[in-house]
Amino acid sequence: MQVLANLVVLTAIYALISCGYVLIYRVSRVLNLAHGELMMLGAYLLFTLASLFKGGPELAFAGAVGLSLLVGFVLYVVLMRKMTGELVIAAVLVTIALGILLRGLMVLIWTARDLHPISVLGWKNPPVPLGGGTSISSVALATILVAVVLYLALMLFFRYTRWGLQMRAVGERPLLAAQRGIKLHAVYALAWALSTFSGGLAGMLLALDSGLGSTMVIVGLKAFPAALVGGLDSLLGAVVGSFIVAAAEILAIHFIDPLISDVVPFVVLIAMLLVRPWGLFGTKEEIERV
Amino acid sequence: MKATHKHLMAGAAALALLAPGAGQAAPDAYMIGLSVDITGPSAPDSGPTADALRIYFDRVNAQGGINGKPVKIEVRDNQSQPARAGADAKSFASDENVILIINSALSSTYEPVMTEGRRAGVPVLFAGGVCPKEVFPPADPLMFCTSSYAAEKDTEFAANYIHEASGGKAILGTISTAIPLSRAGIEHGISVAEKKGIKVVAHETIPPPTPNYAPFATKLKETKMDWGLTWGPWIVQIRIFEALRQLGWDGKLMAYGHLISEDEMLRLKDPGLLLFRTSSMFSDGQPIHKEVMAAAEGKTKFPTTYMSEGWVAGQAIEAALKKVAWPPTRAKMQEAMNDVTIDTKGLRGQPIVWTKTNHFRTESAYRVYAWSKDDNKPKAIKDWVKVEIK
Amino acid sequence: MAQASGYFKTSYGQELRLIETTTQKVALAAFVVVLLVYPFFAKPFFLDLANQVFLAVIAASALMLLTGFAGQISLGHAGLLAAGAFTTGILYKEVGAPFWVTLPASAVVGALLGLVFGLPSLRLKGLYLAVTTLALHFIVAYAGGEYETKRGYSTGVSVSPPSLFGFELTQGRHWYFVLLAFDVLVVLFCLNLVRSRTGRSFIAIRDHDTVAEALGIPVKRTKLLAFVISSVLTTLTGSLLAYYQGFVTIQAFTIYLTIEYVAMVIIGGSGSMLGAILGAVFVVLFPHVIEAAIRLVPASRHLVNDAFAINFAAFGLIMVLFLIFEPLGLVGIWRRLRDYFLLWPFRQTAVGKGG
Repeated sequence: MQVLANLVVLTAIYALISCGYVLIYRVSRVLNLAHGELMMLGAYLLFTLASLFKGGPELAFAGAVGLSLLVGFVLYVVLMRKMTGELVIAAVLVTIALGILLRGLMVLIWTARDLHPISVLGWKNPPVPLGGGTSISSVALATILVAVVLYLALMLFFRYTRWGLQMRAVGERPLLAAQRGIKLHAVYALAWALSTFSGGLAGMLLALDSGLGSTMVIVGLKAFPAALVGGLDSLLGAVVGSFIVAAAEILAIHFIDPLISDVVPFVVLIAMLLVRPWGLFGTKEEIERV
Repeated sequence: MKATHKHLMAGAAALALLAPGAGQAAPDAYMIGLSVDITGPSAPDSGPTADALRIYFDRVNAQGGINGKPVKIEVRDNQSQPARAGADAKSFASDENVILIINSALSSTYEPVMTEGRRAGVPVLFAGGVCPKEVFPPADPLMFCTSSYAAEKDTEFAANYIHEASGGKAILGTISTAIPLSRAGIEHGISVAEKKGIKVVAHETIPPPTPNYAPFATKLKETKMDWGLTWGPWIVQIRIFEALRQLGWDGKLMAYGHLISEDEMLRLKDPGLLLFRTSSMFSDGQPIHKEVMAAAEGKTKFPTTYMSEGWVAGQAIEAALKKVAWPPTRAKMQEAMNDVTIDTKGLRGQPIVWTKTNHFRTESAYRVYAWSKDDNKPKAIKDWVKVEIK
Repeated sequence: MAQASGYFKTSYGQELRLIETTTQKVALAAFVVVLLVYPFFAKPFFLDLANQVFLAVIAASALMLLTGFAGQISLGHAGLLAAGAFTTGILYKEVGAPFWVTLPASAVVGALLGLVFGLPSLRLKGLYLAVTTLALHFIVAYAGGEYETKRGYSTGVSVSPPSLFGFELTQGRHWYFVLLAFDVLVVLFCLNLVRSRTGRSFIAIRDHDTVAEALGIPVKRTKLLAFVISSVLTTLTGSLLAYYQGFVTIQAFTIYLTIEYVAMVIIGGSGSMLGAILGAVFVVLFPHVIEAAIRLVPASRHLVNDAFAINFAAFGLIMVLFLIFEPLGLVGIWRRLRDYFLLWPFRQTAVGKGG
């Protein structure tokens, strides 16, 4: 039972993180390798705001979430906009460089030590019993809820709203979309903002649950196989991929050796890439194939 | 190949930029090189050590220096990369005036620094990182260490303590981090515990960058362990503890008390977290603790309780330098370090004594701290236990 | 700099020449003299930097072949370096194998890994491929860590200096010449490779693989070949690195190392061997130059920790700036400078922009 609960929690974490990869990839075919750093940035913003507004943890949280949204928008306008029209790979390399830049700045501002935003916020993280001796932490429960709400909201957004439709159109045929009067830059900026928003949320929740340190970057990278297994341009795929990777990892921890839990996501990934390179729910034409 | 001109220009430009101290006159100060990880993976431990050394010697210099001369520390960031640390050491070694190299980073940087130290005959002091085997008897003539921890000695003490505290009835689960040093330390602890007749039911090795520790904790809890032993980077030690508590585990966990641990104890306030360490905690409130906190206040971005390792290294260097008559040389420094007693003024349980063959310390002392609900602060639940180092 | 502006190629033979004009010949000769004399004047620190640059040049050339010429992205570079270093370390520790055995053995391991991790490139391109190579990194890191722990080398596997012809390679100066020789061989090999039929196939595949296939280039075989050659050069560097540093530990081979090599290719200038060399020089020396600059600033001592963080951030910033404003990298800057002097007093304008 506990194993099942752990599985759901880990799936939610991976889903929250990989959502950010999918959002940007879907509209612009760019893979944002600074996603881990952007998650961390969100968590650090939460920490700082929490220290500033001692009395209002909710305010601090809302503020940090809002700022995460803004960070993505600004990043696009200042930086990534210059890369539209360039080779996709050049844009990916820019995100790698951006990651290094962000990490340097974060060490500069917050030092490299572990921080605990939850104690600054004054919140508690008691276990929530689920019956049968099973329990998960409150933040883990919140993570599951946030993941569910976020995915539902995004799916509705893509299906029913004007902007969502525009994003899908740009993802499919940027040229045609532009000719129809869709403002490409606005759509891309929105995708970036949503991506840092969801990534920032993931970073904050992770930091609330277990603390904030430099390993979060690698956690961000580990969620990446999840996005790929599901298909990089499909939200549903991101959830399913997260589930598969989380399941493989937990089974490895439980029945084989915890030590290999680091490698397992990538093994799953390679297996998937050899069989269905476009992922479970990805669009077949999307992937550049030989 | 149109490379040639550019090569020349690049080479010349690099050389011009890299050789600022070319015409070095003998400085009127004791010169020390510090190769430290400030932006790399061990920055949370090494960064405070670098700060503490700076604060320590700023104070010494303000009070007139040592033997009337100031101490000057040149700092370089090695990011825990062996190549960078090696280059730092070479740079320090090529400056005749540098009489000591300090290294504070992951153990992967040790080998290149030691190689360079031996080649140039410069003493090397390891501070804040785990002590290399070269400083234990029979010690390498040039290698010294003030760090508070030393893998196998630590886990040996911890295993003995668990045996004593549980009356030999502990059901022990062990947790190491997926780095070779931590695994070796824990494996030694297991063998000591098993020899004593303790039942060891689990040894889980956890890769540090893991988003959720609950799956590991679940597996550990299922073993019905009531004692835990962990030795490794702080982040894994504490996160597995918190994850175990989330699952309702109510046993006791012995974890190594790194610099950061005192701060963390204040955060968790959990009496079941037992920290074994050779450094005293600032909550003891001895004069030295107040002194360090007052000196460091406002001069570092880290909490002042993180200063302990760097401060002890400063004390060691000061004690040795006092015996180095002006003008200083590497040989004099080495000779001084080969026979010195460092009064840690209570930052450690014991003075650090270095002899010709022992550059770790002849005697070490461990204390176990736990959160005391009555006093609302960490308290020693087992006072200094002396361990002889042979 | 007076390279005749009236120099035009009149035959295919000229097109293929490595050294085109007398000026280049003279400059190259001068450069060779500087390289040969350098170790006799340099302090050990500068000698070490030169050696590090030499090592980086080999591995950067390898990545340049794969990414810059054949257009295959790899994020497994640190993993490959580790594979080479560990092959050497393990063979040395377990059977006491000498340099002449470990070096070729590392190359063989490299070839095998290149083949295995080149296979996905037959089905995948771009990002998907990058991710499979990332898997290589994690697998090698896992295996290396296991070896270190299981054999009790928890602070690293130490490797004694190699002996060449009964001559122990310990001094920096000796290493300098050995590594320099390696560099010359590798750079010449790469230069010749990219001018050959194979090299041109690499470029064709990078630019448009469908057209390449239509032209009769065996795309699959060529891609695998690119992976194998690149991997072999990289594991060789790993082996040399193990000997040069005297020990091997898995903690030295992080994702960040891969990023540094990718940075060398970008900053140097993708698609040019000169770019690989310039990139290696730049990335290895950059942090030291910044640190030297920081030391020159008075009163920087109290900011010292900040200064290093700034250094780290500056590295990222420079990469960003290069990608946005100078996609051709250092090579691009160099070419513009050269053309400026070459065509002076006329100004060069890009085709289509001239007025």
